[in-house]
Amino acid sequence: MIVITGIGWLTRQEYGCLISKLNKPHEGFGSLYSYFKHKSYFSCPVKNFSRFDAISKMTCFSAALALKDAGISYSVKHKQDIGIYGANKAGCLDSNLNYFQDYISSGRILARGNLFIYTLPSIPLAEASIHFGLSGPLLHMSFHEKRIPCLLSFAGDSITGGETPSILAISAEENDAICFVLKQEADISPGKNVGLQKVISATGNTYTFDEMINAINGIV
Amino acid sequence: MTSLKAVSVAFEMVTPYGWGTDSCWEGLLSGTSAIRRIDRFSTSLMQTDNAATVPYLKPSRDESLVMQMLTPLLEKIAPEIPSDTFVILATTTGEIEFLQRSVINMEHEAIKSRPDHLLNKIMLLAGTCGSGMVVSAACVSSSAAVSRAASMIRNKERDSILVVACDSVSEFVTAGFSSLMALDRHMAKPFDKNRGGLSLGEAAGFMLLMSEERAVREKRDVLGEIAGWGLTNDANHITGPSKDGSGLSNAVLNAMKSAGISEKEIGCISAHGTGTLYNDSMEMKAIKKVFGNNPVPVYSVKGGTGHTMGAAGLLEIIIGFETLNKKIVPPTVNLRDTDREAEDWVFPESQSFYGNVTLSTNSGFGGINSALVLKAFES
Repeated sequence: MIVITGIGWLTRQEYGCLISKLNKPHEGFGSLYSYFKHKSYFSCPVKNFSRFDAISKMTCFSAALALKDAGISYSVKHKQDIGIYGANKAGCLDSNLNYFQDYISSGRILARGNLFIYTLPSIPLAEASIHFGLSGPLLHMSFHEKRIPCLLSFAGDSITGGETPSILAISAEENDAICFVLKQEADISPGKNVGLQKVISATGNTYTFDEMINAINGIV
Repeated sequence: MTSLKAVSVAFEMVTPYGWGTDSCWEGLLSGTSAIRRIDRFSTSLMQTDNAATVPYLKPSRDESLVMQMLTPLLEKIAPEIPSDTFVILATTTGEIEFLQRSVINMEHEAIKSRPDHLLNKIMLLAGTCGSGMVVSAACVSSSAAVSRAASMIRNKERDSILVVACDSVSEFVTAGFSSLMALDRHMAKPFDKNRGGLSLGEAAGFMLLMSEERAVREKRDVLGEIAGWGLTNDANHITGPSKDGSGLSNAVLNAMKSAGISEKEIGCISAHGTGTLYNDSMEMKAIKKVFGNNPVPVYSVKGGTGHTMGAAGLLEIIIGFETLNKKIVPPTVNLRDTDREAEDWVFPESQSFYGNVTLSTNSGFGGINSALVLKAFES
């Protein structure tokens, strides 16, 4: 059976960890990186964080909280066989616009490489995988409907199919993000966790981010 | 629970060599490249004037380049696609012209460039009433999509899946790759001592995958089996591959384990082979980590087709099946002076192929790697 051992989330006003029942306000995304370093959610500086696009930053924040919630320590140098799957609403549309508007407004002379790389929706996941040392499969997916349940279901199937022992499943938007740590139940030591199917059921009929957090809170 | 074999029952593609798998296969075997001068936007400030574009495609307000490629392909196959088929779309930029026009002309149609909009059009064309998804994993997108499809079939979640892959050569991507100084000024020369970067290409194609049980029940022609797959991530650098090839070699090991085979059974390897200094060197290191000092024929199609981005994996899987069925290893087009690391492994001419198993690998930005084991079908 697949279980979820950590869930990290954040919005413009708050952040939290659902398994360890942490819920705190913060002073805005502008100061959140320094705050996360100070609180050791990031165990070392995130290289090039200031040039990340918004989705990459949200991906890293939520992954840091989820790993903390799951009690998983990490190091950039010691890679772990953990996959990272993502799904969000608009993919990388805003980053595509930023890159191409910049290129056109500069007279079509030279595009900026550091904007171009974020025109792939998988890049925020790659930025997180580099910082957290995650060497398992990496995929961005878009689903017709029920984004979070589909994402969790795919991640669970990949673990069951033996492709990787653990996966971070992330849905990051510009204003909110959530990350789940999935594992085989047999691979974890006793502690708090919640069954994957329970979370899939709980999130299946929610429409807003707050509703989803409340629904998961109700079953943890 | 017994697992099921994922088999391909139909595939077709359009590549810079023209319409159809045969034209691509024959083009590669002829050793000529389909990389040509770009004529759809100004390249005066780009790193190169060349890309592997599909002949006779023209930018149009009515239809995107990828839809110009996909529509004839899917209209032809639609009657053979079961309506309960799940659709997986793999692309990096999809209908990017909508976004380009919205920025250049201050129009409000950028949202139409989203891949989920393209997925809806594809599902309509294919006549499926099931659901679908978009997979994005940079230049690994379509090989990752095929591996997802095979995984869903093996796990009995679905028994009919259509994988569609496409990408076009646009000012958007050409300017981007130019900014990264990743393009060869003339033509990509994978595994050559004098390689100077990749050449962009465009292509579109589909592969209909079924469980063996359903394919047999519906009396479908089976063209090959997706026998195993592995996906890994370097977790090393956002644009450069891991220099020691460990991420890719782990993907190959995972794929062999998934297929239940050893490296001795693999008869040839379709490498990602972009023609960049770092990619090709990393790939040879990864391959040697797995195969040791026992050379297996390795080839790259990208000197011929260019790097077709999100479509590259599917194009190369289709050519992999052609390799298995025709018993020929294609040449590595544009290879003149083989790099020392690739000597005895990569060749400028085609070779006979002995065996029933081949390996197809891809790597992409963000450090993602994929490996697929393809088998000739044995009932």
